[in-house]
Amino acid sequence: MSGEAWLYLFAVLINAVNLFLQVFFTIMYSDLECDYINPIDLCNRLNTYIIPEAAVHAFLTFMFLINGYWVPLILNLPLLAYNAKKYAPPLYIFFLFPPTDSAGAASQLRGQVKADRNLRIIDNTHLLDATEIFRKLNVHKKESFVKLGLHLLFFFFYLYSMIVALIRDDTK
Amino acid sequence: MSAPYDGYGQQSPADVAYAGQPQEGFEQAPAPTAPASAADHGKKKKRGYAAQAYDFGAGANSAANPQPAAGAQPYGAYPQPQTPTYPAGYPGQEPQPVAPTYGAAPADVAPQYGAPQPQGQGYGGYPAPDAAYPAPVAGGVSGPGVPGAAGLSQQMAGMNLGPGSQPQAQPGQAARPVALNQLYPTDLLNQPFNVSELDLPPPPIVLPPNSSVTPSPDANCSHRYVRSTLNAVPTTHSLLKKSRLPFSLVIQPYGALHDNDDPVPIIQDQIIARCRRCRTYINPFVTFLDHGHRWRCNMCQLTNDVPQAFDWDAAMQKATDRWARHELNHAVVEFVAPQEYMVRPPQPLVYLFLFDVSYAAVSSGLLATSARTILDSLNRIPNADRRTRLGFIAVDSSLHYFSIPKDDDENGDTNMLVVSDLDEPFLPVPQDLLVSLSESRQSIENFLTKLPAMFQNNQSNGFALGPALRAGHKLISSLGGKMVVLGASLPNLGIGKLDMREDKKLLGTSKESSLLQTSNSFYKSFAVECSKNQVSIDMFLFSSQYQDVASLSNLPRYTGGQTWFYPGWNAGRPEDAIKFASELSDHLSSEIGLEAVLRVRATTGLRMNAFYGNFFNRSSDLCAFPAFPRDQCYVVEVAIDESLTKTVVCLQTAVLHTTCNGERRIRVMTLALPTTTNLADVYASADQQAIATYFSHKAVERALSGGLDAARDSLQNKLIELLQTFRKELAGGSMGGGLQFPSNLRGLPMLFLGLMKNVGLRKSAQIPSDLRSAALCLLSTLPVPLLMQYIYPRLYSLHDMPDNAGTPDPETSQIVLPPPVNLSSERLVSYGLYLIDDGQTQFLWVGRDAVPQLLMDVFGVEDRTQIRVGKGSLPELDNDFNERLRAVIYKSRDHMSKGVGSITLPHLYVVREDGEPSLKLWAQTLLVEDRADQGMSAAQWLGILREKVSQR
Ligand SMILES: [Zn+2]
Repeated sequence: MSGEAWLYLFAVLINAVNLFLQVFFTIMYSDLECDYINPIDLCNRLNTYIIPEAAVHAFLTFMFLINGYWVPLILNLPLLAYNAKKYAPPLYIFFLFPPTDSAGAASQLRGQVKADRNLRIIDNTHLLDATEIFRKLNVHKKESFVKLGLHLLFFFFYLYSMIVALIRDDTK
Repeated sequence: MSAPYDGYGQQSPADVAYAGQPQEGFEQAPAPTAPASAADHGKKKKRGYAAQAYDFGAGANSAANPQPAAGAQPYGAYPQPQTPTYPAGYPGQEPQPVAPTYGAAPADVAPQYGAPQPQGQGYGGYPAPDAAYPAPVAGGVSGPGVPGAAGLSQQMAGMNLGPGSQPQAQPGQAARPVALNQLYPTDLLNQPFNVSELDLPPPPIVLPPNSSVTPSPDANCSHRYVRSTLNAVPTTHSLLKKSRLPFSLVIQPYGALHDNDDPVPIIQDQIIARCRRCRTYINPFVTFLDHGHRWRCNMCQLTNDVPQAFDWDAAMQKATDRWARHELNHAVVEFVAPQEYMVRPPQPLVYLFLFDVSYAAVSSGLLATSARTILDSLNRIPNADRRTRLGFIAVDSSLHYFSIPKDDDENGDTNMLVVSDLDEPFLPVPQDLLVSLSESRQSIENFLTKLPAMFQNNQSNGFALGPALRAGHKLISSLGGKMVVLGASLPNLGIGKLDMREDKKLLGTSKESSLLQTSNSFYKSFAVECSKNQVSIDMFLFSSQYQDVASLSNLPRYTGGQTWFYPGWNAGRPEDAIKFASELSDHLSSEIGLEAVLRVRATTGLRMNAFYGNFFNRSSDLCAFPAFPRDQCYVVEVAIDESLTKTVVCLQTAVLHTTCNGERRIRVMTLALPTTTNLADVYASADQQAIATYFSHKAVERALSGGLDAARDSLQNKLIELLQTFRKELAGGSMGGGLQFPSNLRGLPMLFLGLMKNVGLRKSAQIPSDLRSAALCLLSTLPVPLLMQYIYPRLYSLHDMPDNAGTPDPETSQIVLPPPVNLSSERLVSYGLYLIDDGQTQFLWVGRDAVPQLLMDVFGVEDRTQIRVGKGSLPELDNDFNERLRAVIYKSRDHMSKGVGSITLPHLYVVREDGEPSLKLWAQTLLVEDRADQGMSAAQWLGILREKVSQR
């Protein structure tokens, strides 16, 4: 088996994991709607998986990058950007106000962000918040659905790419 | 009855009268001669006095200041040329209509204080409070504002509330059993809003005859407890959407801090009939079947058995009358709950006080004042079952616990135990930290007496609030209860440490909203943890510097508590000390509920969609309150999922709670509303105050998530949307330059303007974020009457108040208030004396040309410059005017008469028009209809609305 086939096999597996996670998320959200689970437990349970999900996806995208597979890389970039924006607000602010901007407000804000970056990580703005979960349930559900669809598409794409690579291996 | 809401109907006749006799208002001018004679032979010398004093004052004024002609003139002949100056601000509006309204306009002061007098004569000296002031208005534009009509429609409303009692309701109307409220479109530009319209009750709920099983007048829920934004419910979601109006309930389960002040029928026999399927409590709107053996649920239509105890008293062995049962006669009842309604035995009332003992708290006198207040309030803390427990923790850079012995313990002594480990705060001793109020009363008193001295030389600047909260939580989590935080500094140690993040440069910019958000997630996650363990937190905050109210207010927000903010508080000022002591004492005396949950059930097809207020949503339709306060209200948004087929829908609110006497109870409030397929009915029955309350909650949510600009914009857009919808669908689309809106919603534009100009939402670079956050807390918790006053404050003209104002009404023995005046500085005359009251702060405004006699009577000083401006109180002088004035000021603070419970004791600020500018500016920000800072005036606002509405 060639490197390409291995990479896509890896992608298929990673993707399957993410696919399952999103199915799990979707089920949990509908459980919450039907009052089978209380919001505190739901948030505790789902929050354990939120970072791994994003990290695994970021790692896969990184693998495509260093191996120079541009098509899957471009396919994955939007999702990566979305996750980055959501999970790393300090980074986001940094991009919005580049260091050349000396206006008081921005640099102050940036300084603050820098100062309590540690705090920010504890702050977990990207995690589910039990106090607001019912207000934002629809948003979360929608996000979960979209991600589910994306991962499903990726899954078939990786599978197809893997098979193509294997066939190419055989024909060599 | 065919047009049951005649209060609004007055509109059109008034118009007609107006068109016919445009001069009427002016013809009232000679009236002042009448009062003079009336005053002379007034029955009581006392009552005539004010008028005389004023005549004298006026003379003095004109003599002393010949130059300010404007001030003196109104006393002489009616000055024609002045009239047009007043309404000039309103584009396209005839000048005449305004003059007769309430006489606060500079020009017609004379008829104003003159007019009620002859009226009084007509009524034989003491007119009823409401009947007294139609006189100046009668010829005026504001038909709907006529309080006499308000009284009338109130009576009508009362009749309509008891639908079962309607043999008098005309059943002869073929098409529909009862006509719903009629739509009275008015033009906001030609007939300006009058503040007294806010005193009108909401459009009555018109139910078909015999909707309820008993003819009781209380069969439907009073608007004091539950108000619907729509008193006629659209049958379909699409009609609701087309109306653009919100459908939600504003729920205020308690009308007072104590049961005695607002009693509700209590069902003691523990017979609770509920629907088997939807768990609805039996209520006046069910139907009985099978000769009364079964009842059909009015929510889900399931047939249930009637408990035998409804007709047969097993204990007494005799028949009882089911029709006498409270739950079939009253929409608001309280059931005493049996064992099944308890997860555990009812918990005792627990108060755990967390004292800030850092340097800031000690030096401002906070520690001494709070200890003293708690000591004085020990008798007021509910303790009927003698189970109430108290605990105390003092916090600076370490935690100080106090082990308090029982009174009968011979060698017992109060011990202070200091723990400096903030990371893992532990309880140094297992017991005696939370002691019974009854058993340790003496020791608690001794402890509270000694407490201030223990820390009087404390120099520590630390305030380890987070660790203290965790320790307190550990201490009471097995029982649940209240933690009361008395903090004077920014928490700066341990978990939950906060930073000084406010930057003056951020204020007024789009970044400002980040300051209103929580900066440390501890305050959310800990609040959730507390809610789980039935612990509620109240924050009393006193810092003179930044304290991050935004973060701290999360603790009360999710645990059913409240945030009270006293900026720049210092016990050295008696007013500050009195205000806080009175509020804390009332707070502790309040009969709160414990371990409460609130749920709203409704007719099939309706669904509770979103909940707003201070609580935690434990599931999609259940709000959890570790402690249930009596001075807050909640908003529940209702969605129409399926088309409604019935003519009446019901919404039942149930609050399951433990009283502070250890009794498990359920307070049930059932509201029945008619349905309609007609958009006009929906608009005609919309309740402007409930709508404003809903949007106040929405705006706060929007401000916290999307920023202040977004919140203000969404308010403005919503109003434009409503005006457009009304114009397009109901006003025929082509109304020329006018701004059409139904008479029952006429106040909405001003309420929205007031909301946008409230300190919580106003565009300004001057408002510290702590003040904003505290205001947002109020905007999302205040009961409707207080919220209306908070966003559209009350302005009373005092120098010319009617003779009966400030004296008790002979019938109700309530103090009579002067008629309220619109919030515009054009209504203030330079020689006047005014009270501006937003429920949180009162301003006594002294005009620049106030006459010496007035000053002498009110303040006991000769000259304006001798008046003590700023925070203070009115001197008690032995004269009639001073007495009445004080009575008015106290009455204006009276929450009971507004039908709500509240602990707030407003500060009184004396403001001189030519005095300290910052104070004057502050008072002026309450004049909502004025142009100020970056806010627009009422005229500009209406202009913008009109422009936008006609654009699209
Ligand atoms: Zn039912």
